Amino acid sequence: MEIREIQKVTPDDIQVSEGVALFKLDQLLDKARSNSLWPLTFGLTCCAIEMMAVGSPRYDIDRFGFGVFRATPRQADVMIVSGTISRKMAPRIKTLYDQMPSPKWVIAMGGCAIAGGPFKYPGQYAILEGIDKIIPVDVYIPGCPPRPEALVSALLKLQEKITAKKD
Amino acid sequence: MNELFRIILSLVIVIGFVLINSLVLVWLERKVSARIQLRRGPLYVGWFGLLQTFADALKMLGKELIFPKNCDKVLYFLAPILSFAPVLGAFLVIPFGQHLVIQDLNIGLLLVFAFSGLSFIGIFMAGWASNNKYSLLGGMRSVAQNISYEIPLLLSSLNIVMMAKSFRLSDIVRAQAHVPFILLQPLAFIIFITSALAESNRTPFDIPEAESELVAGFHTEYSGLRFGIFFISEYTYVFISSCVATALFLGGSHGPFLSGWAWFLMKAYFVVFVVMWVRWTLPRLRSDQLITFAWKVLIPLSLFNIICTALALQLLKQ
Amino acid sequence: MTQTQNDTHWITEGLTVESALEHVYAKNGFHQEFVISKDSLRELAQRFRSREYFLECLSVVDYPDHFECCYQFNRWDKIHRVLVKVRNPDKTHPHFPTLSDIYEGANWYEREGYDFFGVIFDNHPHLTRLLLPETAKIHPMRKDFKGDSGTDVEDVLALIEYEDHQYEKVSQELKNKYQKDYFINMGPQHPSTHGVLRLLLHLDGERVLETYPVIGYSHRDHERMAEYKNYLQFTPNMGRMDYVGAMSFNFGYIGLIEKALGMAPSPRAEYIRVFSTELNRIASHLLWLGTYLLDLGAMTPFFYCFDDRENILDMLEMLTGERLTYNFFRFGGVAYDVPEGLGDQLKAFIPKMRGRLKDYKILIEKNIIFMKRTKEIGVLTKDQALSYGVTGPMLRACGIAYDIRKAEPYSIYPEMNFEIPTFPGCDTFARYQVRLAEIEQSLRIAEQAFAKMPEGPIKGEKAPKVSPKVPAGEFYFAVESARGHYGEYLVANGSANPYRLKQRTPSYANLSSLSSMLSGHLVADVVAVLGSTDVVMPEIDR
Repeated sequence: MEIREIQKVTPDDIQVSEGVALFKLDQLLDKARSNSLWPLTFGLTCCAIEMMAVGSPRYDIDRFGFGVFRATPRQADVMIVSGTISRKMAPRIKTLYDQMPSPKWVIAMGGCAIAGGPFKYPGQYAILEGIDKIIPVDVYIPGCPPRPEALVSALLKLQEKITAKKD
Repeated sequence: MNELFRIILSLVIVIGFVLINSLVLVWLERKVSARIQLRRGPLYVGWFGLLQTFADALKMLGKELIFPKNCDKVLYFLAPILSFAPVLGAFLVIPFGQHLVIQDLNIGLLLVFAFSGLSFIGIFMAGWASNNKYSLLGGMRSVAQNISYEIPLLLSSLNIVMMAKSFRLSDIVRAQAHVPFILLQPLAFIIFITSALAESNRTPFDIPEAESELVAGFHTEYSGLRFGIFFISEYTYVFISSCVATALFLGGSHGPFLSGWAWFLMKAYFVVFVVMWVRWTLPRLRSDQLITFAWKVLIPLSLFNIICTALALQLLKQ
Repeated sequence: MTQTQNDTHWITEGLTVESALEHVYAKNGFHQEFVISKDSLRELAQRFRSREYFLECLSVVDYPDHFECCYQFNRWDKIHRVLVKVRNPDKTHPHFPTLSDIYEGANWYEREGYDFFGVIFDNHPHLTRLLLPETAKIHPMRKDFKGDSGTDVEDVLALIEYEDHQYEKVSQELKNKYQKDYFINMGPQHPSTHGVLRLLLHLDGERVLETYPVIGYSHRDHERMAEYKNYLQFTPNMGRMDYVGAMSFNFGYIGLIEKALGMAPSPRAEYIRVFSTELNRIASHLLWLGTYLLDLGAMTPFFYCFDDRENILDMLEMLTGERLTYNFFRFGGVAYDVPEGLGDQLKAFIPKMRGRLKDYKILIEKNIIFMKRTKEIGVLTKDQALSYGVTGPMLRACGIAYDIRKAEPYSIYPEMNFEIPTFPGCDTFARYQVRLAEIEQSLRIAEQAFAKMPEGPIKGEKAPKVSPKVPAGEFYFAVESARGHYGEYLVANGSANPYRLKQRTPSYANLSSLSSMLSGHLVADVVAVLGSTDVVMPEIDR
């Protein structure tokens, strides 16, 4: 019912022009967000070294504006879960995720963060098989560990996801 | 009435300038650090990444603002404002050009120090109100550091006051029409810059927000816009310190060919560049070493310098 | 034979010895073995302690009819590895005497024994879970434990609930108990704890009164995995245990199995192994240098060190196809031969790295702030090092030239011409000096090994095509990793997978000494000292 009403509105209606303005502002904000994804300084295991490497001169994610690694979750936008999640560590990761201010995104880096990786076998007792069991994940990067280029590409993918048209 | 209008207008201009200036400074910092570190720095957002910091600022506007559990809400809310507001007052008396000064007070220099001395109250409030031990440690360190370094900062600029015989910044600049004071007072300049670095919490004196020790120090719990205000105020303090250093030691707006304000800004930005250069070169001091350095090295040195200046002035007079 | 018996008569004199064995060192890595009664253990340990033996490793093994604690004692100056076993037939709550007051390093080993096997060490000061969360109800390394892979989410949720509840309780208790001093958690997410280490600091203002490291946040059950996988399937785990210096861990495991099988790799493979390991050691030390200076507040060196490190990774990638978690060594050889062009890169790299090393030295050692932050900070005396079983660069910074590459040479290290750098400072600055000097020595070794590399196959003649079956027995093999003595204690029963594979990792012992280095220092020094120990957490948590 509501949809019909909106269709009836003429183009010079104030509501529509406001809507357009809001939409534009939304897009601008999304554009800004997607170009300023500050990751949380937070390494778990092996992949953390590759996460450090993306900041290094050869890969330099600061070119895209992702280079500001913040140590406190309050100032971070994207959490890169880089490594195996042990059952002892999982509650801390959840806390960190909860402490991040919205809007926030999560990248699962490497096999372990996706589904347990090489440490998943029948009878394991130590790890959580995939971070998406406790927090929502936006981008998955396969690899053990993924190359730094893969992480850069994942961040660009996330950029696409943020600026994509929403209906 | 006319005067009031002028003040309000200049305040609006100052706020606009401060915001844009600090965004540019952050961009510059990232570019300078990248050059020092074999990297390229922001490159793809806007022309040479110039829009990078604007994107960052816009993003911060859209972030969720969080009150941490058990925090002191009033102080927590006021802290960023209190750390940012005084710095605007300091702009009142900076002589950007021959006549480009909002209010040419005869105690201008004192006013700058008075305002910049207020900054750490905001920082300490942030540390206290956050209900976080890292923040509290950062706040405590900040108080200790600011109190210690205020003294050499004032003492070193006292030399200049003695030579110019005025607290008025435009008088001090006028006194350097022929020779900038940095040539006559090199020691005072070094002490001044060192103390100014400490006052604005920059490496090697950035212990209140030492990232590798205190996570983010006093602003650990601050998110979004509030953190942005802290960020902007830090850079504005750096800029104000550079402006004062320019006025006191580098001859202010004096210089050939170009107009005064251009010279002033160029000199100020050069000092800012030096500050950045230092930041990306040196490791951080430990808190006790920092305080020791202020009380046992800088303060005796600046006192010695004052005595020398007084003697020299007396001798020249005769 | 009689000669050694005479020399080591003091070990068991007057004690109840159930059995004694003389081992052939070349065959399984031990010199002597004693099985003694529970009551004589403490007396024996005291004798070893007074004669400057250090506790190399403590492994608990679950046999069908008894639990066994295997203590290994060794010397720095002249290698003499003694395996002391104590048995307890009680299969539900086995008790053993504690050694944690004689050897402080035993503290963690015993807690781990309790954690994994439910073994109780009497009079242990703090016998709680070490690697598993407090809420865990399992003793996973017991043979009757069947695993609980389905319950991961429930476990995590239970832990969250428990921690929320516990937080309120403990914080209230502490508030009542302490007025002026307070506790602060550093980690598990903290920019300078090098991974997921948690330090519980007891502070008075900024001064550290006590430090309690809490580990286990990246525990991934490597040791139990070893029992489930066959010998070949377990090799990829080596690259993930110490991912910064993965080659040495490859070396340790493959060397162990080769020793147990009694076979030698092909000569060419030996040289490939040595130069790749040394290059990896340089990469590891460079990573340490960068992150250490980052901890001290200098950001820029990190980028320069990573730049150099990328050059090494390029070469290793040419060789192995991987950047970080190498799985390159095979039983009896290596996976791939040296590709074309690697030699040129190496020849170009070595002089460049030497030049860079000189730059680093000038830039770092001429910096007064760096010197002030590191000198006489985190002093670890020789006696403490002995007590904790500290090895690697940390021990060499106490002026003791203990390096497995010289002390019990393996592979082709005897043919290489290099020195063991030692510095007498005992502080964090000495550790920095040792690591920088080691980069230089590793360059020398890599250069020599590459130059002397003979032609030939990359796999030995007897190299197994499939996963081998190791004959029954006990074996120990140690290598010098970038962080110190990495050894593995294997109990094989002749089947396709190990019965027990205990990993003696260097950072484990090194980190346990942290609390003794920190008392009285400031918060800023915690970071400086922790950085100087160069820990890699998954290697500790395993």
